[in-house]
Amino acid sequence: MPRWFSPAAIACGVLFAASPFVIANAPFESDLGLVQKIFYYHMPSAWMFLIASMVCGVASVRFLATGNYRHDRTALAAGELIVLFGLLTLVTGPLWARRSWGTFWVWDARTTASLVSWMIACAYLILRRYGGPGSEKLAAGLALFGMANVPFIYISVNYWRTIHPPTSVVPTLPFSLGFPLWYCVIAFLLLFVLLLKLRVRVEEQQARVDALYLALDERS
Amino acid sequence: MMRVAWLILRKDLTVEVRSREIAYTTLFFAVSCVLVFAFALVREGRAPEDGAAGILWIAVMFAGNLALGRTFERERQSETLRALLLGPAPRPAVYVGKLLGILALLFGAELVLVPLVALLFQARLLAHPFWLAGILATGTIGFAAVGTLFAAMLIRARSRDVLLPVLLYPVTVPVIIAGVRGTAALLQPELDGGIVRFWLALLVCFDVVFVTLALWTFEPVMTD
Amino acid sequence: MKTLKRWCAVVLLLVSWGINAGAQQPPKQQKEFTPIDQLPPTESMPAAPLLVTAYAFVMIVLFVYVLSVARRLSTVQDELNRLDATIKQTGRP
Repeated sequence: MPRWFSPAAIACGVLFAASPFVIANAPFESDLGLVQKIFYYHMPSAWMFLIASMVCGVASVRFLATGNYRHDRTALAAGELIVLFGLLTLVTGPLWARRSWGTFWVWDARTTASLVSWMIACAYLILRRYGGPGSEKLAAGLALFGMANVPFIYISVNYWRTIHPPTSVVPTLPFSLGFPLWYCVIAFLLLFVLLLKLRVRVEEQQARVDALYLALDERS
Repeated sequence: MMRVAWLILRKDLTVEVRSREIAYTTLFFAVSCVLVFAFALVREGRAPEDGAAGILWIAVMFAGNLALGRTFERERQSETLRALLLGPAPRPAVYVGKLLGILALLFGAELVLVPLVALLFQARLLAHPFWLAGILATGTIGFAAVGTLFAAMLIRARSRDVLLPVLLYPVTVPVIIAGVRGTAALLQPELDGGIVRFWLALLVCFDVVFVTLALWTFEPVMTD
Repeated sequence: MKTLKRWCAVVLLLVSWGINAGAQQPPKQQKEFTPIDQLPPTESMPAAPLLVTAYAFVMIVLFVYVLSVARRLSTVQDELNRLDATIKQTGRP
């Protein structure tokens, strides 16, 4: 593992351990009240979900173009992280919605688009797991289609009226509400990078093991 | 390239005309599907509102899934796809040929399904035939474009029968949404041309983008 | 007959305990009724379980994932070390 990994992991752990205190110290939001504090974990999870989707898509394209398995390993690691952070987003969101909107789930633009993207990521992992040998390239093709699909999903589900807060909320946050958010974003971003590196490392070591088995087989 | 695609299409059609296996099974499955929906949803002789549009598209998608699976299973058993890829034919031409074959099958199924759904669900589907044809055509092309690529990709994979719908349905969600909403808009008592044109435009964009992507991806994905 | 009486007594006890517990619900609901000028504390009551569930869920899922990846890494690392040792013992490939 690279030298920056352990200090970064410790820093990430400290950030997460301190986050409940930072969030508890933030003032209540006037309209939404206590439950709005879910926002400080829901929003960074959603952003990591999007970042992971982009990393997976770009790595898949590079893998299809060059055939270098390093990109395939990155794509697989990012694919798992899409499912992970997507799950966090899709659970924390409805818990917040239950209080704010009165119902766990609504079929508005962003929720539906997120759910469909998450399902494509799950399909990606299912293909990698059960597709048998040679499924790396197929999965890269699926990831490419999934990435290209995002604007279409978004436009098509935008037909229904959306009750999600508009994207202008984040830039206009006052410091007292903005600080905990950016604190959590940094914690989640650090966690994302660490998890990606860790997962890619597992795949690299597995590739080495497979190569060694092949070498042993050839010798005997 | 179009000549090769045409040759592949002609080969598929010739095989199909002789055995008619996929055509009959797909058609029968689609009709059974619609009947199951009729038994499940029609109550006291009245169908749910907007039900016809959704049911039509679900039947097309299920039938398409079956047709795709069967078409490429046939190729896999005789290893003909491998022979095609080993030959000097340009890879995109192979894709286009297979796509045209699937489209012919699905359009044929739709010719039967539309009157059947209109009859069983008391929906005035044939009130605006040209708009309906446009939406059905573009939607089917979008679904088949993605489906042909995925089915070809999965030929050598394990669990290919169950993996095809697992991969195909989430990716074709925009097609489902646009197709159903566009068809439902046609069923309204007063036709709102703006809405229908919007969904049609979205479907055309989807088709263009995904056929292009599939043409680009077919070669790297099909080579080892 | 004696066993039957015992069972009836147990059942009666359980039923009366249940009724008691159920009867205690309305006073709890009355506690939640607060005047308007104390709105924030009232609001925090039903929202707190959702908030706690959300944070607990995130922490648990992240913890489980990190643990699973760490376990996979150590398994693969062990296998790699074992293979390295085997190759060293039997000479270079």
